[in-house]
Amino acid sequence: MIPEYGPGRAIPHPVLFRLLDSEADDTTIPEIKVEHKSEFAYYPGCVDYYDQEMQFSHMNYGDTNHGVIFDSSVKLLRAVGIEPMILDRSFMKCCGHDQLWQGKVDVFRKMRDYNTKIIKMIGVKTLVTSCAEGYRTLRLDYKLDGVRVVHITQILYERGLRLPPSGDGKRIRVAYQDPCRSCRQMPVDPVYEEPRELIRRVDNADLVELKTFRADAQCCGVAQMMYCNDKTKGLTYKRMDEARDVEADYLLTACPKCLTHFGCLHHENKWRPDDERYPFRVMDITQFLAERLAGPWPTGGNVDEKKKEPPLPGRRVS
Amino acid sequence: MEIERVKGKVYEERPGFPVQYGPERTDRQPGSPLVPHEVYRDLVTILLLTAMIFFLTAAVMPGLETPRNPAETEAFTVPDWYVLFSFGLLKFASIIPEVQIPGVLGLPPALLSVGFWGFFLTQLPLIFLVILPFIDRGRETRPAKAPIRSAFGIAFLIVWIFTTSMYSVNNLILEKWPVVGSDNVLKGFIIGPPILAGIAAYVGLRRLGYSSMYWYRIIPLGAAFLIALGHAIWILWAIQGHAQWSWIAVFLAFLVGLTAVPAVAVTFLPERTALRFTTATGLFLIFLGFAVWFTVGFYTPSVLGQVEIVLIPNMHTIFALPIFSVITAYVALRRPYSTYEYLLNECYQCGKCHTVCPVTKVEDDAVGGLNLVYNSFKKEHDGVPLWTCLACDACSAVCPLDIQYSDYILEERAKIMGQSAVDGGETER
Repeated sequence: MIPEYGPGRAIPHPVLFRLLDSEADDTTIPEIKVEHKSEFAYYPGCVDYYDQEMQFSHMNYGDTNHGVIFDSSVKLLRAVGIEPMILDRSFMKCCGHDQLWQGKVDVFRKMRDYNTKIIKMIGVKTLVTSCAEGYRTLRLDYKLDGVRVVHITQILYERGLRLPPSGDGKRIRVAYQDPCRSCRQMPVDPVYEEPRELIRRVDNADLVELKTFRADAQCCGVAQMMYCNDKTKGLTYKRMDEARDVEADYLLTACPKCLTHFGCLHHENKWRPDDERYPFRVMDITQFLAERLAGPWPTGGNVDEKKKEPPLPGRRVS
Repeated sequence: MEIERVKGKVYEERPGFPVQYGPERTDRQPGSPLVPHEVYRDLVTILLLTAMIFFLTAAVMPGLETPRNPAETEAFTVPDWYVLFSFGLLKFASIIPEVQIPGVLGLPPALLSVGFWGFFLTQLPLIFLVILPFIDRGRETRPAKAPIRSAFGIAFLIVWIFTTSMYSVNNLILEKWPVVGSDNVLKGFIIGPPILAGIAAYVGLRRLGYSSMYWYRIIPLGAAFLIALGHAIWILWAIQGHAQWSWIAVFLAFLVGLTAVPAVAVTFLPERTALRFTTATGLFLIFLGFAVWFTVGFYTPSVLGQVEIVLIPNMHTIFALPIFSVITAYVALRRPYSTYEYLLNECYQCGKCHTVCPVTKVEDDAVGGLNLVYNSFKKEHDGVPLWTCLACDACSAVCPLDIQYSDYILEERAKIMGQSAVDGGETER
């Protein structure tokens, strides 16, 4: 191994990963009291960690909001008649995708065995995840016999999510980024059609395809949280330029990692109002759909629940 | 600069391409010319060999023996080594009864004699080779992708020919090792090893080809254990009242136990642990073999000799099955860690992966032909493709042969991180 290209340099968030790795060592299983039993479980993954780690998240001074994925997913699942058990990170561990693809197979195995035990213990029949990496990892790399693992767009499509018509007749152009993990890398049940179908159900949305899409879709630039540098930013630039070229108003994705890296670049290129390199909004598909539903606006814990319009970007002023 | 050259299809001065083309070419050509270099070198070799032959004929007089008397037949005849298998099959054919075919439709009556059957058995592997292209219509030629064909080849073209060659000197074997007892033992030994070797080869090749293994491990090893157990019980029942009954029982327990350990290990234990148990069993088997070998001289009159007299006629199961079990379990559990390159060899370098790889579009070091696949071929990593690879699988998506490069990345990274952990971890940066 040549040291200047080794894994130590390639992993840009050492503290976060030290934390996740050390968490994996504690394999004592806590007592879990299930409040309302359900055969559906929702696993949000490690989105809350991103919010605290990333400089451009709404917890710091940016406007990328990961917590809203959780809120939106639960709201959407309730809208199709599912009251899921929440596989919270207070007793679950990270799914281990990043550790596996960074080469730390022993850490991944610890996490997998622990999570498998808990999922079996509380009797999950269908495991819903809103994260593309989590979908692939839980579906292929875990051995969850008897548990059906689905991406959230799949179950929303399957149970027929209906979105109410929006009041204004303004058309919006929506582009969808296919995450590598849920599309190309799934030999079984790739998620190509479901998110597009859900976007078409929004009455004022026009689905536009980027220059590369479906199995040819270019990666967002960073996978498994490795190698955050100018080169990977160059890839993210390329991808977001594709969205700008098709004049999209929204760039949607189904993977929090894509959201992170698009959000990072979006934040960096926000010089002045009306003088932005990327005039579109970047968000997760769950947030996009949940904002179209009736009920409280998904906020990700940023502002109070009664608010009926999107939260303002930037640091929260208390 | 490299890129512009490729775009403009300017191949001159690139490695492997001449500067000028055509008969007017004046540049220095690589290699050495035929005349006079090659001619002189060959001439030196030829003259040297001729001189050696002349010297030997002059200096060393070959001693001629007394001429052979054609009237007397020798007690023991043996053909050249490369037709031993055919000779063995001619001898072996005596177990097939002769058939007299009556003459029909004006044809004369024919006798399918022992000679005919021996000839037929000799042609059997060749017949198999001739009809093979009509049976196996797959396009795969690699053994791991065509395990049935390869297992047949190993069983019949290697092991079968070896065992039949061994049978061709059956009377010598019986003379030298009278403990073998009878010719039937050797006859059985023609049949058994090829079948066992074929099964073991099939299982091992499946493993090499990353195919699913669960029942392919349990069924052959379980069957081997049950057959060995049944045969051992039958032997013990048949020799009741033998003077060395308890010793034979101990020996049989050892041998059956050696088949039992791999069978139990592959059924109930995780792979790595099962592999450790199997390796330990194999080492113990080798140790036991050597122990018996060295002590047989000392104990022949009393104990081991009598044990051998009972066990050796049953060696097709009692001795062959433990060896079979250990070898099969080992090849079925061995992690084929160095064989991903083997699967990667399916690649015929169409370069589609290189075209779609997003990293090559931004990474300076990767522009101009540096990518994952080419580096994998050279079996060396300059570090760039391994750690900048996004594992986005764009390469696998366009691969016409459906090679999963991300699996390769996973494996290589795990290997390097494991080594890094062994070395005491990477230094902080």
